[in-house]
Amino acid sequence: MTAKKKILLIDDDKDFLYATKLILEKGGYEVFLAEDGKSGVEMWKSVSPDLAIIDMMMETWGEGFSVLNKIRATDTGKNTPLFMLSAVDLQGPYQSYEPPAEFPKVNRVLHKPVKAEDLLRFIAQELSA
Amino acid sequence: MENRKPLILIIDDEESLRDGCRQALEKSGYTVLAAGEGVEGIKIARESIPDIAFIDLKMPGISGMEIIEILSKDIPDIVLIMITGYATILSAVEAIQKGAYDYLPKPFSPEQLRSVARRGLDHRSLKIETRRLREEKERMEKSFITFVSHEMRSPLVVIRQYIESLKAIAGDRFDKDVTDIIERCSVRIQNLEEMIEHWLDLSRIENGTLAQKKDLVSLSRIIARSVEDMAPVCRGREILLETHAPDNLPDIIGDEESLVRVFTNIIGNATKYTPEGGKITISTEREDYYITVSISDTGSGIPEDKLPFIFEPFFRVRGKEERHRGSGLGLTFCKKIMESHGGEICATSKQGEGTTFMLKFPTDLSSTGVSLMPS
Repeated sequence: MTAKKKILLIDDDKDFLYATKLILEKGGYEVFLAEDGKSGVEMWKSVSPDLAIIDMMMETWGEGFSVLNKIRATDTGKNTPLFMLSAVDLQGPYQSYEPPAEFPKVNRVLHKPVKAEDLLRFIAQELSA
Repeated sequence: MENRKPLILIIDDEESLRDGCRQALEKSGYTVLAAGEGVEGIKIARESIPDIAFIDLKMPGISGMEIIEILSKDIPDIVLIMITGYATILSAVEAIQKGAYDYLPKPFSPEQLRSVARRGLDHRSLKIETRRLREEKERMEKSFITFVSHEMRSPLVVIRQYIESLKAIAGDRFDKDVTDIIERCSVRIQNLEEMIEHWLDLSRIENGTLAQKKDLVSLSRIIARSVEDMAPVCRGREILLETHAPDNLPDIIGDEESLVRVFTNIIGNATKYTPEGGKITISTEREDYYITVSISDTGSGIPEDKLPFIFEPFFRVRGKEERHRGSGLGLTFCKKIMESHGGEICATSKQGEGTTFMLKFPTDLSSTGVSLMPS
C-alpha cells in the first residue's frame, strides 16, 4: 500500500480550513493546516507536501502571493502543484488586479466555496500527471 | 461651524467706501480687512483666508473681474461679491461665471451691505455642510462596500464549504429527507449570496466603480450577445426569442459588459413570466439622437397599480407568493446602469397580454454623423 499523498492548506479562516480538510480526508489525503502565511511556509519546509492550496486574501491583501513566492523559491517548491483560493468577485473592484508577468506559476485558481467533487478532481488531475 | 467671528475683506480703491463698509460690518460683529487695490487684496486674502470678499469691479491696476477669477480658484469656499457702479446684466453674468456669488450695485445702504453679507455667509455654511455630508456619504458607502464584501460574504462562503464537506463525508449515509434539507439550505444560502452580490453591484454603480467604461460599443453586438446568452433558457421553456433589428444600429457610448447584463436581465425576467409557447420580441426604433430597444413578451403582464414600483429594490409584483425568487434587485440594477449611460428604462404592460420594456439610449453623435453622410 502506498503512503497517502500530503496536502498543505493555508487559510486564515479556521472554519474554512476544517471544512476543506474534511473533504480532502474523504478523498484519501493526509492534510496539514496552517492558519497564516508564516507558519504555512514553515510547514511547507518541514512536511514537503505533494500539493498546497493557498488563500489569496489572508490578513493583508497579497499575503497569499508572498507565500506563493516563498514556496516557489524553495527546492521542493519549484515543481510542486500549487492552487490559489480566491473569494474575490471578479466583476468587482479587484478586477483590474493582475499578477505581474514574472509571477510564479499557479497551477489552478479556485473560487470559494469550492465544490467537493471539483476540488478532489482537480487535485487528482495534478497528482496523477 | 467655526466659532471665530466671520472675516470679511473689502477690496475697493475708494477710501470712504472702505471705511463705510468697515463700520457697517463691524457693527454687526464681523472682523473686517480692507485693501485699496487688487494685488494687495489678493495678498491679504491668501494670508488671512476670509469668508467673504467684496470686490470693486472698476479699479486702477488689476480689475475686479480678474481678482474674482484668481480668488475663486485660490481659496476654497470663499464667497465673492462684486461691488459695481455700473451694474449691467453682462458684467454680473461674467462675474458669476468667474465664481462670484452675488453683486451689490453702488450706491448701497449699510443695511443692504449687511443683508448681502448675511446671505453670503449662509450660502457659505450651506456649501461647506453639503460638501461635508457628501464626503461623509462617500466614506460610508466605501466602508459599507468593504464591510459587506468581506465581513458578510466570508461566513456564507464558509457555510457553503461546510455543506460541501457534509455532502462529501456523509452524503450517501443520509436519508433522502436529510439530503433534501441540506440541498434547500444550500439553495437559500446561494440566494442570499446572490442578493449581497447584487446589492454590492448597486453600491458600486453609485460610487462609480462599476460600469465605468466609456467605450464606443455596438448596440447590435450587445443585443446579439444577450440573445445568444438567453437562447438556451428560451429553448428550454419553449419560448420563441425573435430579434427585429437592422444590422447598422448606431453605436453608443458605454460599458458593454454591464449593458449585456441589463439585456439578459430583462430577457430573463420575460422568460419567467411568459408561458410555454409564448414569444419574446426585441425591436428597435431610431430617433434623431436616441435609439430605443423594446423587449416585449406575451406573458402574464404586470398589474397597472404595480407598474410604477417595479424598479424599486426588493419590490415583488406578486408579493410573497412570488414563484420565481430572484434577488429582487435585478430591475433596480438595470435602471441604475441605464442612468449611468445617460439613458432611460420604462415599461408598459397589459395584464394577460404581456409586458414591454423600453431601453432608450443616447446615440454617439460622431457615429450618427458618419452614417448620415452621403456615401
